Amino acid sequence: MSAAVLDALQATLAEEHAALYTYGVLGARTSQSATPALYDALTAAYRRHRSRRDQLRTLVEEADGTPVAAAVAYALTGQPTSSIRVQATALALEVASVETLTALVARSSGSVREWALTEAIWSATWQLELGGTPRTWPGAPELD
Amino acid sequence: MPGRPLSRRTTLGSALAAPLVLAACDIDPPVRESGASPGTPPPPPDSALVAAVVTELVRARTVLEAATVAVPSLAARLEPVTAAHAGHLEVLVGAVPEADLPTPEPASVPSRILPALAVVRRSEQRLLRAVREGCLGAASGDLARVLASVAASTSQHGAALATEVTS
Repeated sequence: MSAAVLDALQATLAEEHAALYTYGVLGARTSQSATPALYDALTAAYRRHRSRRDQLRTLVEEADGTPVAAAVAYALTGQPTSSIRVQATALALEVASVETLTALVARSSGSVREWALTEAIWSATWQLELGGTPRTWPGAPELD
Repeated sequence: MPGRPLSRRTTLGSALAAPLVLAACDIDPPVRESGASPGTPPPPPDSALVAAVVTELVRARTVLEAATVAVPSLAARLEPVTAAHAGHLEVLVGAVPEADLPTPEPASVPSRILPALAVVRRSEQRLLRAVREGCLGAASGDLARVLASVAASTSQHGAALATEVTS
């Protein structure tokens, strides 16, 4: 695996650390009883991103790299204190994830590209569970 | 980690028509060796792949058009899908020689709304499989990224069609 692919994997892993932290905060601010659909959507996304982080760690190690570590904390965009803002923050996170993963698609090949593509499609499709709408160019906004 | 931005219509078509441009990019592989004579530039390595994706997009568009004719009340629902595919085709079609542009077979769509939607959903799933295959086989990283975006868009629209209930 080339150094360019390893760099891309590490960059994607760093983004996943931030995503997991953010989902943890969003989940803690969401009431399962008051907003069960949102709670379920956040929980499913958290699990998917946790699995994604673990897979990225494995891929980095397989490329003879040392997986980049998570930061202690990450800054959240805005103040997701209401369910509407929580949902919007999660949606923005998935939009950004598609951009990160399509960039990994561009820099990789074979099984890594296939995995990145599958995850990009998942994040794009999950946006609909978070109030998003279909786009023409998810992950490549400069083409819009 | 944003992707390398592509200008909207510089575009993939012109980039694929001039493989040396892509070869100069650090995310793309070098131009493959070819037995062609010096005066005959080899076809871009991904041109057949793009042509296959364009063929599927044109086929899917034909199904959408037929569904709109068969069930006019579906027009508003299908319009976003049609618009997205038009955007995808606009970027990709420039990479396909005019002689290779497909002439799609007419599509047959039932005149009742739910069976018509089922035909459209199956058509979109077939398109998604073809775009995925193209993405995984692309030699150009830029093309792979564009096709990943097309696949993501197609999946989004398919999910939107699947979750809306109409009777």
